[in-house]
Amino acid sequence: MTWNRREWLTAATAAGGLAHRLSGAAGATVAVARCASYGPGVSAVLGTMFDQLGGIDRLVKGKVVAIKINMSNPLRERTGFRPAWFTRWTHPDVIAAAVQLFGKAGARRIRILESSTEDAHPLEENFLIGGWDPDAILKAAPSVEMENTSGAGSGHDYSRLEVPGGGLIYPGFDVNHSYADCDVMVSMAKLLENRTTGLSLSMENMLGITPVTIYGDAAGYEAPSDDPYGSRNAILATGQRQPPHTSPAEKDPNSPREPGYRLPRITVDLLKARPVHLAIIDGVESQAGGEGPAPPPESQSRIRLVKPGVLIAGFDPVATDAVGAAIMGFDPMADRGRPPFETCDSTLRLAEEASVGTRDLSRVKVAGTPVAKVRVSFRGPS
Amino acid sequence: MPELIPFRWPKEWTDPAKLAWLQGTPINCLVGEVPPPFPTGALKFVKLEKDAPPEGIATTAGVWPRVLPPERDVAEAGPTGAPWVDSNVGHIRLAQTRDAGKPVWLTYTPPTDKHVIPLSSYARSVAEAAAHGAQWVITLGQPFLDGLEAHTEDALRSWKRMVTALEFFQRNQEWAKWEPVAALAVVSSFAGETELLSYEFLNMAPRRQLAFRTVLAKDVPAVSFERQKAIVYIEPGPPEGEVLKRLLAFVEAGGLLISPRGIVKTAPDATRMQYQFHRLGKGQIAVPPDAWYDPYLMVRQVHLLVGHRLDVVRVWNGGDVGTYYLSSPKGDRAVVHLVQYGAGPTQPVTLGFDRPYRSARVTTLESRTVLQPVKGQLGVEFNVGEFSDYAAVELEA
Repeated sequence: MTWNRREWLTAATAAGGLAHRLSGAAGATVAVARCASYGPGVSAVLGTMFDQLGGIDRLVKGKVVAIKINMSNPLRERTGFRPAWFTRWTHPDVIAAAVQLFGKAGARRIRILESSTEDAHPLEENFLIGGWDPDAILKAAPSVEMENTSGAGSGHDYSRLEVPGGGLIYPGFDVNHSYADCDVMVSMAKLLENRTTGLSLSMENMLGITPVTIYGDAAGYEAPSDDPYGSRNAILATGQRQPPHTSPAEKDPNSPREPGYRLPRITVDLLKARPVHLAIIDGVESQAGGEGPAPPPESQSRIRLVKPGVLIAGFDPVATDAVGAAIMGFDPMADRGRPPFETCDSTLRLAEEASVGTRDLSRVKVAGTPVAKVRVSFRGPS
Repeated sequence: MPELIPFRWPKEWTDPAKLAWLQGTPINCLVGEVPPPFPTGALKFVKLEKDAPPEGIATTAGVWPRVLPPERDVAEAGPTGAPWVDSNVGHIRLAQTRDAGKPVWLTYTPPTDKHVIPLSSYARSVAEAAAHGAQWVITLGQPFLDGLEAHTEDALRSWKRMVTALEFFQRNQEWAKWEPVAALAVVSSFAGETELLSYEFLNMAPRRQLAFRTVLAKDVPAVSFERQKAIVYIEPGPPEGEVLKRLLAFVEAGGLLISPRGIVKTAPDATRMQYQFHRLGKGQIAVPPDAWYDPYLMVRQVHLLVGHRLDVVRVWNGGDVGTYYLSSPKGDRAVVHLVQYGAGPTQPVTLGFDRPYRSARVTTLESRTVLQPVKGQLGVEFNVGEFSDYAAVELEA
């Protein structure tokens, strides 16, 4: 299936447009709440946050809701002994709580999505490999499904998402059908740093919608590979090669090949091509110092476990990430050279310039707990 | 007769005084093409020639157990791009299946390629074989012989480490009689046309932490599959006669049988992962779309058909660690052997079980620690920690 801009605009009117109206033209609202621990209490906290945003009923009722979670590879590695749900992945209790609330609000179908760079396993199997029974999520509401979007998956073919305006790096992307066959897109991220993009929040989470069969290091040259394998370094991060001939090539192969230049822009392209209607950031527990289970050998950073005890949600992913950045102790108005963007351009700035949302906290209404009361310095002393 | 612990007597050792290295160790058997030119006391000599296994012993060549270091411009990876692990698990379990009851000896010698073989890693060779109920014919390479000659600290420490491993397994000989804990049984003749595929299955399944037991196809009618949830039948064609009857009974009782095409003539009830599923009694038969040809894909498919929910042990931070999980006949005690194939210490390893073990004890080649269970979402977990080359986790229900 190929979606052109006109079709997108039509579809987006139903959900994206509504979400944008819900966020308010004058400025976005972002809900922040303390949540000391995972468990059944998450649902009530998240429910209150949705109410503070004006409710989700109008957004999801009768709709197909896609939730892109963060369950990045490797699946079998932990930060020390701590399961990845507590350090770098969206915690299943947060996923289940959101699913339950979407179900109560009348969602027609809810699809949990993540792409593995290691395998084409059913996503349920990857939950089990990670050490969690997916049934709690699958049974949290009627009509809940999971799909590993590392390849075409259960779709017969890939779906093309075009970037309105032509894009900064790519004019379009070929993705798993689940990202096109949905009315509402939810990005559910972890409160996390990223050594390449500075932050790994709801916007950066969308880099993971790109299928590894097309954008992974082992992608085919003529056509997508059959098996997904490999990180997205050669094509997306460093631009050493183009995607398969069947997918849109990047606009300017002479543009910088630097990951810190490319990935923030590709993230913005993806957000334009596949708008996020609701951003949720799990900051109950996390890790500071990077997004992986261990820092790379050349890195000077040290991973340490942190417990911010906070959940963040908003209809504007830029504003939501900006609030997340502030809670992590960063200035969302910072750009390249300043933390956390020491070696990259700010995705927040680029997204704001592309009219995806606002990063200016003076234009963002924080509902619930003030940022200052939940700030945890990710670069502070351990 | 006590179990033989073989040591390949170096040709360079012409001085009987060298026998002192073996005194007080579990080594009780010298191996070579010719015996040493002097009396060896209580040490038995076993003649070992290429292609001629000693009587009563099954031999298999095997490989030096390790992760091959990556080389520029040379493919040193498995089908997933993950580092290639040279392990002997497939060799050992194939030999144990085909020559049931016979001791299995691995006869490989230390590689003389350009890769450095740390002397400390000899203990891994000893432990890998012993953990799987076999013996490595201990063979010292020239650097080790030179080190012992010069009494270098590294050689002395590595020799002691190897002896520590031998002594540990001598103290725990009962484990060799315990049954593997596995949801899956691999049934095959392990011979003829299917030998390569079935061997590769045994070789590759451990890399996915897919536990299994092996059963010779001809033995199926007399075997109990009470503890298995699934059987994969690896032959060119479907089972027949008494074997078929027994396997269908397993399915009717609720099991999953994964079998080549031709076992069922009726239309499938469902299709998943391109396998056709046929209901029978309380269980199902899964039939692949085509004949199996790629063992890596086959292992992956079988693992997904069985499902990770039935993984008997889960391993985190053990990318280069192989596991072998055995249980006592009563099921009240168990051991998980952990063999690390990479260099240097592991990451902090965690094991997870759906059986409610109450306590565990981890023994490495250097230390012993008591572990308390940690509640995991899928059962109990034990934080084993870091180790080099080998660790045993003893569990009590």
